[in-house]
Amino acid sequence: MSSTNFEQDIQYIKAMIRQSREVTAGSWMFFLVWGVLVIFAIVAQYVLVSLAMYHLIWLDWVAFAVIGLSFSMIYGRKLKNEKKVKTYLDQAMSAVILASALGFLLTGFIFPYLNLYGWEAIPVLIAMVAGMLTFIMGGLFEWKLLKACGLIWWAGALIMCFVPAGLRSLFFIPLILIGYIWPALSLRSLYYKQKSQNA
Amino acid sequence: MPENVLPPLDPVLHSRVRLGIVSILAGVKEATFSFLKEKLGTTDGNLSANINKLETEGYIEVIKTFQGKKPVTSCRLTEKGKTAFSQYVETLEQYYLLKK
Repeated sequence: MSSTNFEQDIQYIKAMIRQSREVTAGSWMFFLVWGVLVIFAIVAQYVLVSLAMYHLIWLDWVAFAVIGLSFSMIYGRKLKNEKKVKTYLDQAMSAVILASALGFLLTGFIFPYLNLYGWEAIPVLIAMVAGMLTFIMGGLFEWKLLKACGLIWWAGALIMCFVPAGLRSLFFIPLILIGYIWPALSLRSLYYKQKSQNA
Repeated sequence: MPENVLPPLDPVLHSRVRLGIVSILAGVKEATFSFLKEKLGTTDGNLSANINKLETEGYIEVIKTFQGKKPVTSCRLTEKGKTAFSQYVETLEQYYLLKK
């Protein structure tokens, strides 16, 4: 066998390994939908507060959480059925997303319900968990933008400590736009770019 | 290093389709039959025969599941397969450097 054959074999192996890199950025839809839902929930909360309907605030958040969870279950199942290949990155991503979802549930609902801290601490702690989610995802995707979004969330969590408690949730909206919707749209373009490359 | 000192290339992997299967599986946790077929551009029969050969040699594990009522066949590289693949690539590189 000549060196050309060996080189061809090596190139063939490299090409096949490249083929296996199927789209892993399909989670953009989760980011987008959850980001938009949380913005709606915050706006609805302010409407309820301005109408002095404080007793309905919990219902606002539960309703949006139910919509988000239902969407996640249906869309997650659809993604799973469409996938022809399982990667280690997918496995790591699933674990990070699940861990963050539990983090949001504990810091946003369970701990305040158990009177561990007041409602004014919720946006700060949620921003901290959101920062962890985006920063770790940035590390997994080797993507600086997502890592930067994680840093923005943490900076936002720190700044929120100095914002009056009543305005913290509103401060959350620009953070969601920068730290969630922006990476969601970037992940979306990466998703379609990878899809066209793999086609 | 003279060529006759180098270990021979693994005959199981020294086939285009089988090398392709193992190369793809080296980069993922598991891949379906249809994914392998699509990426390798081969026929069902040819792919099945090569998967059977790799499974018999203990290089890959074949997993049969159902998605609803639809049967799905997936393949995963075993530890033996991973070792064989890395040895194959190493030997191939040595041959290449020698011939260069």
